[in-house]
Amino acid sequence: MSSAKVAKPGKPGGENLVFQRGGFTVRKFWCAFFVFWPIVAIIYSLISSLVPSLGWWFPGPSVTELGQRIDNLFYLILYIVTAVFIGTQIAMGYVLWRASHSKDERAWFSHGSHSLEVIWSVVPSVILLFLALYQMDVWALFRVQAYFPKEARDAPIAEVTARQFEWRIRYPAPGKKLQLKPQPDDLYDVNDLHAPINRAVMIQLRSEDVQHSFFLPHLRVKQDAIPGQIIPIWFKAEKQGIFELTCAELCGWGHYKMRAQLTAEREVEFEAYLKKLQADQNYDGHATPSAVAKKDE
Amino acid sequence: MSVRVWQLLVVVLAGAVAGCAEDASKMRFAQNAVLAKPVHRKAQAVVEKELEKHFGTPLDSVAWLKLPVNYGKAEGKVKSVDGRSVIVDFNAETSDLEGLNSPELSRAGLLFTSGANQGESFLLASYDPSEKSFETLLPLKTAPAEGDQFVVAGQNLRHGRKLYARHCQHCHGINGDGDGTTAKYLNPRPRDYRLGIFKFTSTNKDTKASRDDLKRIISHGIPGTYMPSFVPMLKDNELAVIVEYIRWLAMRGELEVQLLKDLKNDYAADRARKEAKESKASTSEIENQIAKQLEEYVANPTEGLAAFIETVTGDMVSAWEGAETADTVIMPPVPRVPDTTASRERGKALFVKTDGGKCINCHGPTGRGNGFQTEDFQKNDAAGGFYEKRGLHDAWDQPIKPRDLTRGIYRGGRRPIDIYRRISQGIKGTPMPPVAATVKPEEIWDLVNYVLSVPFESASPKAAKAHSVAGQPSEHGNAN
Repeated sequence: MSSAKVAKPGKPGGENLVFQRGGFTVRKFWCAFFVFWPIVAIIYSLISSLVPSLGWWFPGPSVTELGQRIDNLFYLILYIVTAVFIGTQIAMGYVLWRASHSKDERAWFSHGSHSLEVIWSVVPSVILLFLALYQMDVWALFRVQAYFPKEARDAPIAEVTARQFEWRIRYPAPGKKLQLKPQPDDLYDVNDLHAPINRAVMIQLRSEDVQHSFFLPHLRVKQDAIPGQIIPIWFKAEKQGIFELTCAELCGWGHYKMRAQLTAEREVEFEAYLKKLQADQNYDGHATPSAVAKKDE
Repeated sequence: MSVRVWQLLVVVLAGAVAGCAEDASKMRFAQNAVLAKPVHRKAQAVVEKELEKHFGTPLDSVAWLKLPVNYGKAEGKVKSVDGRSVIVDFNAETSDLEGLNSPELSRAGLLFTSGANQGESFLLASYDPSEKSFETLLPLKTAPAEGDQFVVAGQNLRHGRKLYARHCQHCHGINGDGDGTTAKYLNPRPRDYRLGIFKFTSTNKDTKASRDDLKRIISHGIPGTYMPSFVPMLKDNELAVIVEYIRWLAMRGELEVQLLKDLKNDYAADRARKEAKESKASTSEIENQIAKQLEEYVANPTEGLAAFIETVTGDMVSAWEGAETADTVIMPPVPRVPDTTASRERGKALFVKTDGGKCINCHGPTGRGNGFQTEDFQKNDAAGGFYEKRGLHDAWDQPIKPRDLTRGIYRGGRRPIDIYRRISQGIKGTPMPPVAATVKPEEIWDLVNYVLSVPFESASPKAAKAHSVAGQPSEHGNAN
């Protein structure tokens, strides 16, 4: 039929027919089409990973060791997925290319092949099982309180309460431990969490109203805050600086307003910050804080 | 399609156009608002015209130089001219230049103060901070010469409006009436600026809020309400221009409320109907009479509208300027009395005394905010008579609860000085009275020490003992 020249692969129900009847040009076009895009994707990934200055690749290294390990897990999965991707694309390209060269060759009807079913069930299961076992220690370190570093577990530095639409922070007074219930000498701040560097610190995360998510992208920390629960999170910043702290759970119309910051600073600076907070909180209008809240009990 | 379907479509579309979207280019006016009784529509038109004249619309705001608002001003001189762009040099003052960086400059004005274009003003299309060059919206007829002096003004107001529209407007409303689109979901309601009253201030009871007070609220938020903190999202210069815009809106609202209050006696909304009932004259005759009277009132230079606005704005200017002077800020004359059990007990005794500060009347014997006044009918000073609902009301006619002190939430700040100021000067616009006249500073500090200890009282048996010492029945509920 002469009409077969103007093949319309999009025509419903007609694909197979049209493909079979289509000339070699059409077949080669589809072969080239499905090979072209994976090649573009691979070239793009290669350029962006080899030339990081372009800023196309993932964000820079984490400022915590645990974040680095999480990144490593991510990259491991990325490598596996890349290998699978390249392998399947090559296989598909080969099939298309071969079919575009021979009109008479028939496809192998593989449906019901027992050995093939076994192969594609067992191979991914092994990969998934490997990943599940391989990530266990990182997961435990990240999420299971019993595996947190002891120094963090023993002395949480602050309680962070998310609410629409801000982060309210409560520190224990210098030299004291954070208690579950607010204490008279607790120190308060909002939207600016301070933490010492090179020390594992723990935060108690709460929510006052709806679900929020405590997200420190540079530290690879993300944890939902759930009303009624106190959720411990820990991190050990290894770099000084001001890092973004945002809400990563759409929590209402003012979600975008929940942009706070983590100030990671040296131990002395952190202590000075708490002292300053204490002085400000006890400010009575006179230069010397004469009546620093003294508990008489 | 049937006629009915068409009708339905038209109704739905009209609703979508008229009902859902608020026109951001227009200011709202206080028609039929709680604060001001409705006035005759002709009088309302006069008010709207006056406000448009002095304040403009959000997109085309007027910098009324009489008001103590920092509209933003930068002076400089022309360095050279390159086609339409004018390269300039500013005479220092970097803080004012911050606003020039914003795209909002597009509607800021430039006025030449010397040279061929002297006295002419131009709207600016753009400003390039790296090149330090301007482009005017319309081409300059005569090119300015090197050294021509100019002033750029209004950029703070415009920058402030843009930020206000993005962050504040949906609760506080386009004209600061506390009735933005999300306001109806909030309890407590967002502040309505139009009375010119802000609750949490450092100034004395008769003074407005200072710039620092407003800035503190925006940067710290108000715990226990929906007002969040906007820091570190907003930078210092952004906070400053938002504060200016809020002060400007508050002054606009104050003038509006004052005008409506002034006109409501003579030009009540139902005046024509009432008078027509009482006299033999027809409604249209009385309408004409009202129109004539109004015209005369507006035209009268010595005792008319202009004079009234002059007086009102004069008071307003001195009140807002007064808030910026150091002597209106309340500083305790004595340092905080050491926070000892004895001091707390003295504070508690004062707290429950019914002839002293009367804290107990509203805040209750244990500070739970359940004093007898919350169950009583309260006088409505503005409208006369009593409120229909039991309990306390604020200046905005909203029901208001005395703070439950056991919860440890301090809306206006938890520093001792914040609490001292609130006890000493009261909370503006609320029934919380100033006690400075009757209670000594040392005693106020005792009260502060007691109030700060209330959330922890029931936890400590020793404090419970102090309780009974003060002669009050032990009434420890579960502090929630």
